[in-house]
Amino acid sequence: MTAFGRMLDRTVGGITRAGGILVLPVCLLLFLQWPLRDVVQLYSREANDLAQCLFALYVSVAITYATRRHAHLATDVVAQRYSEGTRETLARVGAVFVLVPWSLFILYAAWPMAAQSVRQLESFPETFNPGYFVLKIALLLAAFLVLIQALFDVFRHGGQRES
Amino acid sequence: MIETAGIGMLVAVALLLIVTGLPAWLVLIGVALLFAAGGMVAGAFALPLLTAMPARLLGLLEQDILQALPLYVLMGALLNHLPLAQILFRTGSRALAATGAGPSLAGLGLGVLLAPMNGSVGASVAMLSRTVQPRLDASGMSPERGAALVCVASTMGVVIPPSLVLILLGDAMMRAHTEATNLTHESVRIINTQDVFVGALVPAAILLTLCAVVTWWTNRSRQVGATAGLPTVPSTMREWLTAGVTTLFIGSLLAGVTLGYLYAVEAAAFGAVALFGFGLATRTLTMAVLADVLRDTMAVTGALFALLVAATMFTLVVRAFGTDRWVAAALVRLGAGEWGSLLVVLAIVAACALVLDAFEMIFVVIPVAIPPLLTLVHDATWVAVLTLLILQASFLTPPFGYAVLMVRNAIRRKLSLSGLARALLPYLMAQLLVLVLVLAWPSLIWQRNPTALIGDNSPDNPAGAMSDEDARRMTERQFPPLSDEESGKDSKDGKE
Repeated sequence: MTAFGRMLDRTVGGITRAGGILVLPVCLLLFLQWPLRDVVQLYSREANDLAQCLFALYVSVAITYATRRHAHLATDVVAQRYSEGTRETLARVGAVFVLVPWSLFILYAAWPMAAQSVRQLESFPETFNPGYFVLKIALLLAAFLVLIQALFDVFRHGGQRES
Repeated sequence: MIETAGIGMLVAVALLLIVTGLPAWLVLIGVALLFAAGGMVAGAFALPLLTAMPARLLGLLEQDILQALPLYVLMGALLNHLPLAQILFRTGSRALAATGAGPSLAGLGLGVLLAPMNGSVGASVAMLSRTVQPRLDASGMSPERGAALVCVASTMGVVIPPSLVLILLGDAMMRAHTEATNLTHESVRIINTQDVFVGALVPAAILLTLCAVVTWWTNRSRQVGATAGLPTVPSTMREWLTAGVTTLFIGSLLAGVTLGYLYAVEAAAFGAVALFGFGLATRTLTMAVLADVLRDTMAVTGALFALLVAATMFTLVVRAFGTDRWVAAALVRLGAGEWGSLLVVLAIVAACALVLDAFEMIFVVIPVAIPPLLTLVHDATWVAVLTLLILQASFLTPPFGYAVLMVRNAIRRKLSLSGLARALLPYLMAQLLVLVLVLAWPSLIWQRNPTALIGDNSPDNPAGAMSDEDARRMTERQFPPLSDEESGKDSKDGKE
């Protein structure tokens, strides 16, 4: 693997690992939502919207993290008999012909919507709290990480991903 | 016959899943892309239809109920990594020792308590194989019988509200019901997650009772008067207290959500915070454990969300071909009526569930199979509960039942398939009995406001249409007029 490839791998790994911590503030904000709404009677909508933004970012990176951990659901009743090389080849074919075109398509189709949202710093439609544009950025981020990981998996020659 | 392309897509997915062993989300997207390209070449639809995809994915990111997904997974990961599962199993075994089947009943109980919060049937199998199986082996139980118990306990999360499976099924049923009413133009209240929770209560209670009786009956003689399988170290007062408080806490949390006192999202957050509190108070939540919990939570959440993303793409293409309308028309042409159509669709669901996980079923098969059925069978809650029961039975059916495959993989020991099938048979009979009961007596399904959910299909009202007055009343029930003070208040909080 080239130095660039290793750096790319480390970067994606770092982003996905760092994203893992986001579930804690999501949990805390949604926990606080009830007392904020029913006791304090303030800021519950803000807590909900902020949790929504963090949730969107969290799941965007979680998809690629699941790929790196080989955690995606699969039915390997037959495939468990294949050699490691065959399985690697199948995974590469999947990355080249499925994940790369799909993520490129999502980036292409979502870009205008996300760019406009960011330019306007779009607010949540129901509460008018700022930050709705983060959800659209999260969508692009998810597709971008899937693309990078897929490319990395295609060009990777051996080596171990995180377990 | 371009409309049948969706059926071809399902067949292609099933074949590719089994043959390639590639992740289900990748297979779903791959098949969707391939057929979408074919559809565009054949002129069935145009590219702009596919450019609607980002908006649909954005809908997933802004859906409040889906926030419950990582939180339930977080709760499950905390329960797996903190010593609670072991404490619950140890104290449960001792508390039930007098029955003569303490470890077996405690294993089932642990599954009942924890499976609703575990990410999937596979995750429950892994947890119970690690926690319960060694104890069952020590009690002198045959490996096949122990594996059967782990299978059954692992699938309890499918039917016991408010499991993650039920939350997502509720959401899928809501969409299916919406699509069905769009086709029939009926004016009915759309089913929601809470309806499925409440509807599943009585059948789940019956099933649980039957499974407990089967477990006790089949294991009592082996463990009567024996101390084998019971923990060698006596439980301390602190453990008893921990087990009691945990059971009470989880039970009340689940009951609160099921009965509608708590929102699923908030309850899951509340449960996770409480588990963090337990971990910190007992000093068992170290940095290393926390890192493991975060890693597991993210991996399972990512896997489930990827599946959701892929299923969104897949179902978009299936609908673009018009397969949903074709299936609805085919069911009508079948001329089998409400019952015949119900049995055909449930049989298809059961066949698919033999090789697919609960989430794959909910995200892929239910959106295609259920909307056409709901155009003919109007009790959506009943259909949802029947689907749940079918799913659980299929997971348990050897040799390809998903839980059976998972447990054989997790135990990593030679298991006799015929022995496992014999051990599972009484549980499958219990499943069948509950299924027949629910089919024969739909009133077993506890429904909130049932008349609003079911369209009037009496001969006097063949189209199932409501009167204007009924429609007005229903609209008022669903969207009560806001007072002046409330009208300035947002409706987003806790929206489910």
